[in-house]
Amino acid sequence: MSNQYDHNDDNALVIDINNLTKDYVTGAGTISVLKDVNLHVRRGEMVAVMGPSGSGKSTLLFILGLFQPATRGGYKVAGVDVLSLSRDQQAIFRREMLGFVFQTCDLLENSTVYENLELPLIYAGVRRRERPDRIREALRMVNLEHRVNQPSNRLSGGERQRVSIARALVNEPEFILADEPTGQLDRENSLRVLEYFTKITEEARTAMVVVTHDNMTAEHCTRKCVLTDGYLNG
Amino acid sequence: MRYYDLVRVSVREVLRKRRRYIGVLASIALGMAGFIVIITMGNDLKKNFNNDLDLLGGATIINIMFEQPQLERQEWFRDRTLDAVGRIPGVVDTTRVALKTSAVTTWHDRLFGFNLVGCEANYWKVFSFNAAAGRLFDEKDVSEGARVCVVGTDLARQIFGGDKEALGQVLSIDDNLYTVVGILGGVRAGDRSQFVFLPITTARARVVGISQAYSAYVRCATWDDVATVAKAIPGVVRANQPDRALRVNVAWEPLKQVQRIFWWVELFIYSSIVATMILGGFGIWNIMMATVTSRTREIGLKKAMGALDSDILYQFLFEALCVTLSSSVFGVILGRIGIEYMSNMLGSRPPEGLFVFCLLMGLGFAAVLGIGAGLYPSIRASRMQVVDAMRYE
Repeated sequence: MSNQYDHNDDNALVIDINNLTKDYVTGAGTISVLKDVNLHVRRGEMVAVMGPSGSGKSTLLFILGLFQPATRGGYKVAGVDVLSLSRDQQAIFRREMLGFVFQTCDLLENSTVYENLELPLIYAGVRRRERPDRIREALRMVNLEHRVNQPSNRLSGGERQRVSIARALVNEPEFILADEPTGQLDRENSLRVLEYFTKITEEARTAMVVVTHDNMTAEHCTRKCVLTDGYLNG
Repeated sequence: MRYYDLVRVSVREVLRKRRRYIGVLASIALGMAGFIVIITMGNDLKKNFNNDLDLLGGATIINIMFEQPQLERQEWFRDRTLDAVGRIPGVVDTTRVALKTSAVTTWHDRLFGFNLVGCEANYWKVFSFNAAAGRLFDEKDVSEGARVCVVGTDLARQIFGGDKEALGQVLSIDDNLYTVVGILGGVRAGDRSQFVFLPITTARARVVGISQAYSAYVRCATWDDVATVAKAIPGVVRANQPDRALRVNVAWEPLKQVQRIFWWVELFIYSSIVATMILGGFGIWNIMMATVTSRTREIGLKKAMGALDSDILYQFLFEALCVTLSSSVFGVILGRIGIEYMSNMLGSRPPEGLFVFCLLMGLGFAAVLGIGAGLYPSIRASRMQVVDAMRYE
């Protein structure tokens, strides 16, 4: 599947969204959460999507991750129309192209850091002997190599978020989606996470979309978009 | 997802959440142990039951005899015929008997009438008799034609005044003297309390009216063998000697009663085992449903990381399978302990092949149970929408 995506160009367009609309049909009528949204993100770019609560930031992120379908519009990743993919193809798209960082970290409890990072590799079919190097490399990016065998429930909040970032990186994705990645961190840890994000986009030339309502986070991004009343500006 | 990873991840999950599985694990293990013990030891148990029930009803003893046909010579059992009957599958033992129904003896000028039986030494074994006092005559007495006798309890009391008083006394029958060596005992000894037993060789040589063994008894291993053995006997006799006026007597009514009782007992036991296993299955189903619900976010997370629906399906299915298979392994160990204990108790050894057969059947059933109970929860988990799972609180 990965062959159909364009991986070569260092500044290639990774995310290409055109006139994307998302409607929710409720008993009270149809609510348009996203209205003709256009978003284009290139490799090495880190785009912040800001907006008040309920503005549709998370919905946009879930559509970008193919966790839920759009009502209308076009969405291409590296030139491929991903909205028309089957359920299994979507899963393969996620394992090969996408890394996701959640606000609540969402690490597997009762599992070690290694096991958390191994899971995406298992789903991607990476050979067992290749995994330790890939995991070590991902942990090196977030300076957590020494915690590789630590149970996830013994990590601090900042460490958990860094493990979450390493997990998003381990499959060497084309782009990373981050949902309020600093939402539960103090200032010091937030800064550190944002430094890692900058490093990742610069070193790995990974595209990144960060949903946040925190100005400091947005300042660290290369571009800032604001979602208001369903329209994305910027 | 590679097979190796599937096994590793599923086993790890089950081990980490082992506490929640203890109840169903115990239930399935006990059911499995019961299943293995009953199936493996069933035949030995039946034989043992048979011994006990036989004392009461003789349900597994077949009497074969030659009647006196009109104007023809009466047939008797040849050695080779009884040997051939003894080789019929399901036959445990055979014994020949010669009977005189109107024998008399005198003791201190008093006349006593009784039934006289000439029999072989294994007669006692066939009817589960023992000695209430003294001893029962043995193979040596029979082969030597010893002049010894065993007396029924009532007759001993009437003639000699008691069991112990009878031992060593000399009884005169048809002008021959026989030393009383024992008093007949056993649950069914009451039926023969007015009998005197002589070694068959002695009886044939010395008692007027006894010349040949016209009657014989065949003891079957279990009541299930009785019908087939009874059916096979005429053919076997015919193959070895004339079968003129042969009669095969089976106590069908007691046999049917015994079979009926045991059928109910078996039904009850198997129902209990099946119920235990099904309860275990429902337990797994219930736990797997709860597990799927409690791990909704985890499922969403795994799907967000690129897990296919089939990856989730196989993982949950394999977890259920792990629980039932590990339960059955415990069950097999418990079953083996049970078999060893019962073997010692019953003094018999079931065939090892039967245990292996039960083991394989048990594992197969556990696999079916695991897949059956885990299928629906696994399908439910695999079909979850990522967005719903991720937003689940």
